[in-house]
Amino acid sequence: MTRRLFMAQSAAIAAALAQPVRLIPLDEAGFKNLAASGKGRVTLMDFWATWCEPCRAEMPKLVELESRYRARGLRLITISCDEPEQETGALDFLKKNRAPLPGYIKRPKDDNNFINSIDPKWSGELPALFLFDREGRKVKSFFGETDMAALEASLRRNL
Amino acid sequence: MGRLLLAACACAAVLLGQEFKLGSQVGDFSIKDVQGNAVQFSSLKGDVTVVLFIATHCPVSNAYNERMKSLYNDYAPKGVKFVFINANGNEPAAEVARHAQEHGFPFAVYKDDGNVTADRFGARVTPETFVLDATGAIRYHGSIDDSQEIGRVTTQRLRNALDAVMAGRTLEQPETKAFGCTIKRVKSAS
Repeated sequence: MTRRLFMAQSAAIAAALAQPVRLIPLDEAGFKNLAASGKGRVTLMDFWATWCEPCRAEMPKLVELESRYRARGLRLITISCDEPEQETGALDFLKKNRAPLPGYIKRPKDDNNFINSIDPKWSGELPALFLFDREGRKVKSFFGETDMAALEASLRRNL
Repeated sequence: MGRLLLAACACAAVLLGQEFKLGSQVGDFSIKDVQGNAVQFSSLKGDVTVVLFIATHCPVSNAYNERMKSLYNDYAPKGVKFVFINANGNEPAAEVARHAQEHGFPFAVYKDDGNVTADRFGARVTPETFVLDATGAIRYHGSIDDSQEIGRVTTQRLRNALDAVMAGRTLEQPETKAFGCTIKRVKSAS
């Protein structure tokens, strides 16, 4: 085996290992840590599910936005609200849409408290997007089908 | 002119906003049966009434079809009245009728054209439920139970609420987060 072939195979194995095979479970504390970990960047949290048609329709648009504004400091985090049986499908959907990975899956200890802790005005409906500024403060919530122009305007104001 | 516009906006917000809230009394409203006939809510309600917003396409709402039938079969004989409403703008009455027949619903499903009633309740998703007592006050608002997957249900939220209201007890959890598909509302003219 030549050195070049060995290097190519190693790179392929490393890439395969780097591809997540699971979504990361997220509870109340995990969500807080995740939001706080983005300080210095603007974070868009997307709560979605495979059964939610508007969520599926919006995903490519959100990925495109993230791609366009990444260099200016935007990060997109997806949080699936699927049941365990749908986790594989959710991960496949994220990969197919080239969404940033790892993706997360909502697994709170108490769903009501979890939702209220993010935004008491959130009924739990999907899609739901939450925008955090560079200080890690939630600055905007979007419930239901997203007005992409309004979202982009909010992004630009915070970037 | 600016003040007039502000006042108009404020009035519009009040008019479009949620009218029936937890603890408040639900006034009469009109919905349609699947033949298109207007029906007054006052003719459907009872001492204990459940108002449920459901859908034909939503996988979450459909996951509850059998549970809704069981609820109806268990509580209707006890005098509880059920008012199932489809407020989705993209699910016409004929489809609602077909869906009800295909799933063997033992109850009627009504149409809320223009999501007027859903707006007054502030209903956002399907399925989403409201329990009203004999005075017409909302005593419970939220989900049917705590899991879309029946095997993972740990709390029968709607059943617990019905049992409490029927017994005149205070509810431990009068409001929970309903989960499901967003109600497909008609687009506003603005």
